[in-house]
Amino acid sequence: MTEVRNPFADPLRFERRVPECAIVIFGAAGDLAKRKLLPALYRLAYDRRLPASFAIVGNSRTPMSDEDYRERMREAVKQFSEDGDFDEELWKRFAANLHYVAGDVKDPQLYLALKEKVTATGQANILFYLSTQPSYYTVIVDGIGHSHMAAAPAGAWRRLIVEKPFGHDLGSAKELNSRIHAVFREEDTYRIDHYLGKETVQNILALRFGNGIFEPLWNRRYINHVQITAAESIGVEGRGGYYQEAGALRDMIQNHLLQVMATVAMEPSAVFEPNAVRDERAKLLRSIKIMRPDEVDQYAVAGQYKGFRQEPGVNPDAQTDTYAAGTFFVDNWRWAGVPFFIRSGKKLPRRVTDIAIQFNQAPLALFAKAPGAGDGEQKARPNLLILRIQPEEGISLLFLSKEPGSGMRLRPVSMDFNYGTSFGERSPSAYETLLVDAMVGDATLYTRQDMVEASWTVIQPILENWNNRRFDFPNYDPGTWGPAEADTMIAKFSRQWRNS
Amino acid sequence: MGTATTIQPERILKDLQQLWAQMAVDQADAGGVLRACAMTLVVVAEDAADAERVRKTVGVLMHNHPSRAVILHPGSNGAELDARIFAECWKPFGKTQQICSEGIEITAGQHGFAEVAKFLVPLRVPDLPVVLWCRGSAALEPGPLEPLFPLADKIVFDSSQVTDADSALQFLRRLRARGSRVADLHWTGLTGWREVLAHLFDDQALQPGEVKGAQVTFGGSSVTTGARYFAAWIRSALPAARVIMESADAPRGLHSVKLSTSDDSLTITLGSDHCVEVLGCGRHYRSMLPASSEEALMQEELGILGPDPVYEKALSA
Repeated sequence: MTEVRNPFADPLRFERRVPECAIVIFGAAGDLAKRKLLPALYRLAYDRRLPASFAIVGNSRTPMSDEDYRERMREAVKQFSEDGDFDEELWKRFAANLHYVAGDVKDPQLYLALKEKVTATGQANILFYLSTQPSYYTVIVDGIGHSHMAAAPAGAWRRLIVEKPFGHDLGSAKELNSRIHAVFREEDTYRIDHYLGKETVQNILALRFGNGIFEPLWNRRYINHVQITAAESIGVEGRGGYYQEAGALRDMIQNHLLQVMATVAMEPSAVFEPNAVRDERAKLLRSIKIMRPDEVDQYAVAGQYKGFRQEPGVNPDAQTDTYAAGTFFVDNWRWAGVPFFIRSGKKLPRRVTDIAIQFNQAPLALFAKAPGAGDGEQKARPNLLILRIQPEEGISLLFLSKEPGSGMRLRPVSMDFNYGTSFGERSPSAYETLLVDAMVGDATLYTRQDMVEASWTVIQPILENWNNRRFDFPNYDPGTWGPAEADTMIAKFSRQWRNS
Repeated sequence: MGTATTIQPERILKDLQQLWAQMAVDQADAGGVLRACAMTLVVVAEDAADAERVRKTVGVLMHNHPSRAVILHPGSNGAELDARIFAECWKPFGKTQQICSEGIEITAGQHGFAEVAKFLVPLRVPDLPVVLWCRGSAALEPGPLEPLFPLADKIVFDSSQVTDADSALQFLRRLRARGSRVADLHWTGLTGWREVLAHLFDDQALQPGEVKGAQVTFGGSSVTTGARYFAAWIRSALPAARVIMESADAPRGLHSVKLSTSDDSLTITLGSDHCVEVLGCGRHYRSMLPASSEEALMQEELGILGPDPVYEKALSA
């Protein structure tokens, strides 16, 4: 059917239209729903981004009425809304669209009850959101399929949002994709990686491809190396049971950080359209050099903080990596020979996620012995472009400047662009952005099957190596920047971590 | 915050530098101040009282569109040119560092106003766009504001402030014909209405080809530019439909829009609580209109510095 263009469209002024739909959330009483999903949906209603008619149908095992669920979510939204904007009147209107169906996802009757509830709301379009334990994903998808809820009437749609992890290794990721595809088409499958919804991650594309000054420098001739850091100051905070099965490599690097790396390193797409952008990301992921088994010890480091094994729910002999670092190379003309150092860990000195692009040094330390340069030799320092993802989203450029006064004494200064303060306007949370995208059918910021499989392929040799050895854990103290082996790893490439 | 000065652009710029240096010292313990600037916003206020209102509005606009603001207003009893500088600062939610934008307020007498344009050239922020916001109806009269128009990348006017819709539209068309980019806050105020109507076609409540006629009803004794814009917009989107305008015994402004097919009709009617009611073609719901305060309308216009083809088409129709 040919789509008829709306002659009244005015994209400069009209917000993207979110179509009327029902959002069915599995795991609706869980942490993610309470902390992120419902606050994001409420905020969209606050900003008038939701359609006049919509429905949210929650499911979990806990028996409760619609009213009980609304009350529980009211408290969650009040507690976890980032801006503290809570409007009782708005909540009443919003909550009238909240419904709940209790039931076990393994029970086929649940899906019939959900179908009945959604039908009663009168919504033709359905967005399913898997916010449960990953082990239930295939059960739920099968349940949706068997109940024929995935079959959309003419002109309507069915979409599925899947939270990470998308499998626990390459084989299981392929198996999960195959089970999902038995019910949902790939174009209707939205694998959410909330990092890609963050403003700064999206801004990487704007910075690189919207400006003329960066892209000419964005290659092996000018860039010395790239460091991507995702550090948390906290430990597993009660998630020990889940975390000990995942670890930092699976939990952070395989998905978030490799996606971030792909965004930093990808080629420009010909057009800014979902599949064109995702094609370039996927191409980059496929270009990452796969480590040979004998290279893993040289290119990857695992760590575990002291005290992890004493966390509740954690095996006292756990071999879990609460810290992981890797050195990755991209086999293409733009990046050949440029190392990408990626690290992620818990109980590090501070919470920070950033990407540091270190440029080559000036070829000559021209001012080293200039009059007034001081006693020590003034070395040329490399320029750093830092893309900060959290806690303060923004961009900084470090360069040398002359100190005021006589003589030629140079010192590094930082030119900062802070997302939160340069635009007074509030940035939408990643979940707000991604939920709207899924409702309007824009998959640009979602991960595609081939991207998931490509990133598992990159990680697989490390996983296999680590699964087959016994580490002398724990190997780093809480509050430090991880194990000494990580420093050794990067030193082999004559670089060092930015531990500031 | 500000110091009195005469109109000497170099002096004003120097005073601004000193103001920034002083603010940096004052706020050193709180992480300093962050200076942001995306454009020069020149506002021609009607009088001193209006300039005061403008300063408050500009203070709100700065949050999303940090600018160097230049507020011009006529002085009383033929005073000479005079200028003062000011800064608008705010602290974003949850942050400690202040963001500040700078401003220059210029008072000009009858003769001084004609001189203002030449002072504005050095006071613009280099390499950034200039937006000229003409308040009231003074811009319609040939005279002192004319030299300002060529300096602006965009000229914002509000035709709802004038009773003669014809002369307002002619004025805007004339500027457009000269190559200026123009905006009318009266048109901006229609965005909510237009969005509701557009969504009916997104939702396929109506198909463009089946609309045979449209009736735009306005309140007040004379047709407003808003009603004309709306009718022109429908005409340009649905060239085959017959579009008529009618007056109603209702407050001044757009009252309702009715779209008719061969066997059905749908009406969007202004309701209470800043809502519109949609009724017909199997639809019945209320939709809230966005804020229509002057700040909100200017926010929208300052976000569009390039071509605005939909408005330009409605203006030229």
